[in-house]
Amino acid sequence: MTEIDVRQKVLAANSAAAQGLREAFAASATLVVNLISSPGSGKTTLLEATARALRERLRLGALDGDIATERDALRLENAGIPAHQILTGGACHLDARQVEKALGQEARLAGLDVLFIENVGNLICPTSYDLGEDFKVALLSVVEGDDKPFKYPAIFSRAAVTVITKADLLPHVDFDLEAVRRQVSTLNPEGRWLVTSARTGAGMEAWFALLAEELSGKRSRRRAASAG
Amino acid sequence: MHEMGLSAEIYRIARGTADDHGGGRLEAVTVIVGELTAVEPDLLEFAWQAIVQGTVDEEARLLVEWLPARQLCDACGPVSERAPGSWLRLCPRCNGTLAVSGGDELEVRTVSFSGEPAVTGASG
Repeated sequence: MTEIDVRQKVLAANSAAAQGLREAFAASATLVVNLISSPGSGKTTLLEATARALRERLRLGALDGDIATERDALRLENAGIPAHQILTGGACHLDARQVEKALGQEARLAGLDVLFIENVGNLICPTSYDLGEDFKVALLSVVEGDDKPFKYPAIFSRAAVTVITKADLLPHVDFDLEAVRRQVSTLNPEGRWLVTSARTGAGMEAWFALLAEELSGKRSRRRAASAG
Repeated sequence: MHEMGLSAEIYRIARGTADDHGGGRLEAVTVIVGELTAVEPDLLEFAWQAIVQGTVDEEARLLVEWLPARQLCDACGPVSERAPGSWLRLCPRCNGTLAVSGGDELEVRTVSFSGEPAVTGASG
């Protein structure tokens, strides 16, 4: 019997693909946002509202991961931005190679200002896969219950931004917003926090401002890199 | 269940390692799984059985070594016990904030295989 000391990261192949994507996104100064939530939290609705508000000012695009149907990509196309559906055929998350392949097939998604990656609806599995994004956003709708950050700590620890959605329903549900905020800040003290309703538009300006600020940071980093 | 994809990746790495060294049947593969990876060792082993079944390596065992994260409390120092429900950021002794490091390891550590080249032709 032979034993070999391997010491190789299990996700090394994914990390290598993610690194390649990250370099390409840095070169084109494309801000890449990986949105993760449970099904029905309002990822597509947030992106529809974002597309309608910003499409004249910024070149936006989206990759939509789902097990079945091209519904989400169609909704975003109808909101006026190029969108490409990745069908995972059963897998519960997107990986970097799927993103690489989809971008290779879709010229309309090259050289964007902001690329949104709408992950498969799932609070667990997508957390482990680096897609070359600038940051992850965790969405939590107020109808899902106010215990979710502590029940799904991995995503709320790693998402740079937590977006509460469907805030217009707060008067109708028992959702302790302050308790959720405390859970998130315990798990992720540096994380940013937004409370939104895509339906009424409440909180959406803060979301757009966050995107603009992050995009401007990414562009300065590219300028600094090309100057240095 | 991302454990299925991870087990497939572990198998790909392990089989590739054996092939690079003369290609015997896999006997055992050791993986390190950190506490904060959200990977369940039992599910990983269950998925491994499904992955190797029907291949030349179907007898190969997956050995999971679980690695805890390190918790440090400002007031209490290093803390080994876990606070149920708060996943490592609240000190179970004083309820203060914990600094947490490590626990994100997910690595194939060793691969062992028999000396004879594997019989090819099976799936996988």
